[in-house]
Amino acid sequence: MKRTGLAAGAVACAAMLALTACGPRAGGDADGASAELTLVDAQPAGTQPVDEVTWAIVEGEPATLNPAASANLVIPNLCDNLLSLQPDFSVEPGVAERAEFVDPVTFVITLRDDVTFWDGSPLTADDVVYSLQQSTDPASQWYSAFALVDPDPATGIVATGPLEVTVHFVAPDSTFRDALAGQGGAVMQKAFGEAAGPAVGTPDGGLMCTGPFELAEGGWKPGSEIVTTANEDYWGGAPLVKQLTYTFVNDGSTLATALTQGEIDGAINVAPSSRAVFEGDGAGTLTVGPSTASYSFGPVSATSAAANPKIRQALSLAIDRQQYLDTVVNGLGYVQKTLVPEFSFQSMEAADVYQAGYDALAEPTVDLEAAKQLVAESGEDLSVPLVVAVPAGAKEFAQTAAIMQAAGKEIGLQLEIDELQASDFGALFYDPSKREGIDFVATQGYLETPGVLGYPSLFLLPPAMGGVFNWSEYNDPDVTAHLMAARNATDPQTAASEFVAAQEIFAPEQLQVTLAGTYQLTYLNSELSGVTTSVAAYSSPWALHLGGK
Amino acid sequence: MPPLTRTVLARLGGMLLTLFLASVVIYSAVLLTGDPIAALAGGAKPTPELIEQIRAAYHLDDPLWSRYWQWLTSAVQGDFGRSFVYKTEVMTLLAPRFGLTLQLVLLTVLIILVFGVGSGVVAALRGGAVDRTVAVLTSLGMALPTFVVAILLIWIFAKSLGWFPVYGEGGGGWDRVWHLVLPAVSLAVLFIAYLSRVTRSALVAQVHSEHVETARVRGIPRSRIFRVHVFRNAAPQILAISGTTIAGLFAASAIAEVAFGLGGIGSLLVQAAARADLPVVQIVSLLLVTIFVVLNAIADLCSALIDPTSVAGGKAA
Repeated sequence: MKRTGLAAGAVACAAMLALTACGPRAGGDADGASAELTLVDAQPAGTQPVDEVTWAIVEGEPATLNPAASANLVIPNLCDNLLSLQPDFSVEPGVAERAEFVDPVTFVITLRDDVTFWDGSPLTADDVVYSLQQSTDPASQWYSAFALVDPDPATGIVATGPLEVTVHFVAPDSTFRDALAGQGGAVMQKAFGEAAGPAVGTPDGGLMCTGPFELAEGGWKPGSEIVTTANEDYWGGAPLVKQLTYTFVNDGSTLATALTQGEIDGAINVAPSSRAVFEGDGAGTLTVGPSTASYSFGPVSATSAAANPKIRQALSLAIDRQQYLDTVVNGLGYVQKTLVPEFSFQSMEAADVYQAGYDALAEPTVDLEAAKQLVAESGEDLSVPLVVAVPAGAKEFAQTAAIMQAAGKEIGLQLEIDELQASDFGALFYDPSKREGIDFVATQGYLETPGVLGYPSLFLLPPAMGGVFNWSEYNDPDVTAHLMAARNATDPQTAASEFVAAQEIFAPEQLQVTLAGTYQLTYLNSELSGVTTSVAAYSSPWALHLGGK
Repeated sequence: MPPLTRTVLARLGGMLLTLFLASVVIYSAVLLTGDPIAALAGGAKPTPELIEQIRAAYHLDDPLWSRYWQWLTSAVQGDFGRSFVYKTEVMTLLAPRFGLTLQLVLLTVLIILVFGVGSGVVAALRGGAVDRTVAVLTSLGMALPTFVVAILLIWIFAKSLGWFPVYGEGGGGWDRVWHLVLPAVSLAVLFIAYLSRVTRSALVAQVHSEHVETARVRGIPRSRIFRVHVFRNAAPQILAISGTTIAGLFAASAIAEVAFGLGGIGSLLVQAAARADLPVVQIVSLLLVTIFVVLNAIADLCSALIDPTSVAGGKAA
């Protein structure tokens, strides 16, 4: 059994080597490649109907299509969110034609009257109450967005009319509205959900939503494909593609070949390491879009040297970001100064305040002398190597760990790499026993909706206030106060200035050492157009306008 | 008891014992993989209540032997349990994928038998330059791992020439065969080389044996000598090797399935292992062992039928 697994891995590596060695190299990506890149957030809408499109889901087959329990690129085409996230990360009305705070702690959602589920039944306020209540469970993926909602089911989220839902809060919440443009605001049918119980969203249980594509019964053949068909009665207009089939390709080189040969029509999040293949002759083209995704690493324990900001600052000073970009993401990224990326606030109301705060932060630089000085000042016992955990089998993470190790060596920090299997790596994030003996963890993440408080809350607040990944037990009362003030602000300008005040303090502490921001990479057959090519694809029906040119 | 019946019974007993031991070993793998809660929770952050629910639903608190017994008796009755990851019956996952792997293996076997036995026969009978050419080619074939062959085939026949698809299983009928050609060839190469060598040496040994010399001196026609004296005597050895080869193909197919994006049981096993989907890994492993053991037994019995003396010979040895 072990041998087949190894052999399969070997296929990937060998093929990857073959492809990168043979393929034509894009000229001039050694210096200033990012300056030549044109970022596109959405392609022109398709104009011709298409019978069938086959799409590869790079992340692998989802465990469930229940929007309350999973985030993947299949769900956004099936289930509408209350508000509609645009490719430029602005938020427009959607299934909800209005969704606003009427006073600091009362939020009223008014639904369109022409929205129907796939079975033809109209969307009602009861369905929305049921859907939103899914996220008030602390186990839900989207709980943090609902943390300030009145937890009493009888008074928290209630139907106040056939098409009106009112949400009551225990404190003002500046982040709630934008969260409704993500899957926290996804709408499912109450009757279907209650009948299916915990099976909702699984291959056996199915789904009942209002989105532009429908999942027919038996449409998900587990381990093989998910077949969806056009919702001809979609309130936003029927999609041009009649059948959209998702397939799951585990092997990167197989995917690259199948895409460039035209056997698979498209994929979002293709590997930057295959850039040369995608930019060479093939059935389609690579579109580079803006994203909130980034690579970073952070401390895993409060007692380790990794919890000492000086050690993290030293490592940060020893890592050449440009070299990181060229090696790990093949030039398809940019230097990101702190954990909150610029794209996450670019279309927000107080964007200029956020931008000014970001611009004021120091640019990451290489300074080995200063780094060594910091290590010496840290007072940590460095005789034992610090352990960096990365997920096994991912080239980008193997390289990230290697770069960290080399940087550490230059400044007298010994780092040891621990490659963890996917399930063990996942368990690290909620099972403290799995974190024992580990000092740093390297991760990749993205923000699926606009807003700046998501990451800082997770990494900087005390655990009881939502800082579930605050393993180094960072606790700065000023940062906490500013972040809470930003969340409880009732106007966007105050929220922005409070956040910027917190960022000024926490950014230099490098709770997460940000290594690079990356772009969203979409490969699409040249005969097709209309895909959302920014990170907004995770929260909006990115295939709604997909069609023939 | 006639020797043949005894052979059949002995083989059957051995087979059942092997399968039982294999099932114990496979199930014990639970001990190595630790707590399956992470896989079961499917990435979400599990609450203590959820963990309790999962433990109860999957009988995780029962003793290991009782879980094993329950698993084995259900599996024997065709209830393969539920996948941790897809939350669906393992049977639903397995059935369509098994069909595809079976098609792939059958096509591969056809290719192996035609080219393996064929080239072995030609090499043995022609000798000289033909023999040497076959020897060189089979050495090359044996040295090439399946994944390297797969890359070469994709590069030549799919990317450069564009004759065959590189991905997926296609529709039904000829489209399916067309999609399976490259994966089948990439799987076959190693075994063709192996079977060709075995066939050649088995035949050569017979050609130079005393009874063939005698037959030749007696003036029996060449074609009859080959059919009755050479091939029939060499057949058990060729069959035995073919049996093991075909049995091994079910496991080896994983490499071709992953490389060509086919949804068969091999790629299912690789995926399930990566996602710690224990019930799927266990059933697929047990299935592969069963196929291997059964096919081997069948090959043995076929040899016994073709040449009953081999049974006595086998016993004496």
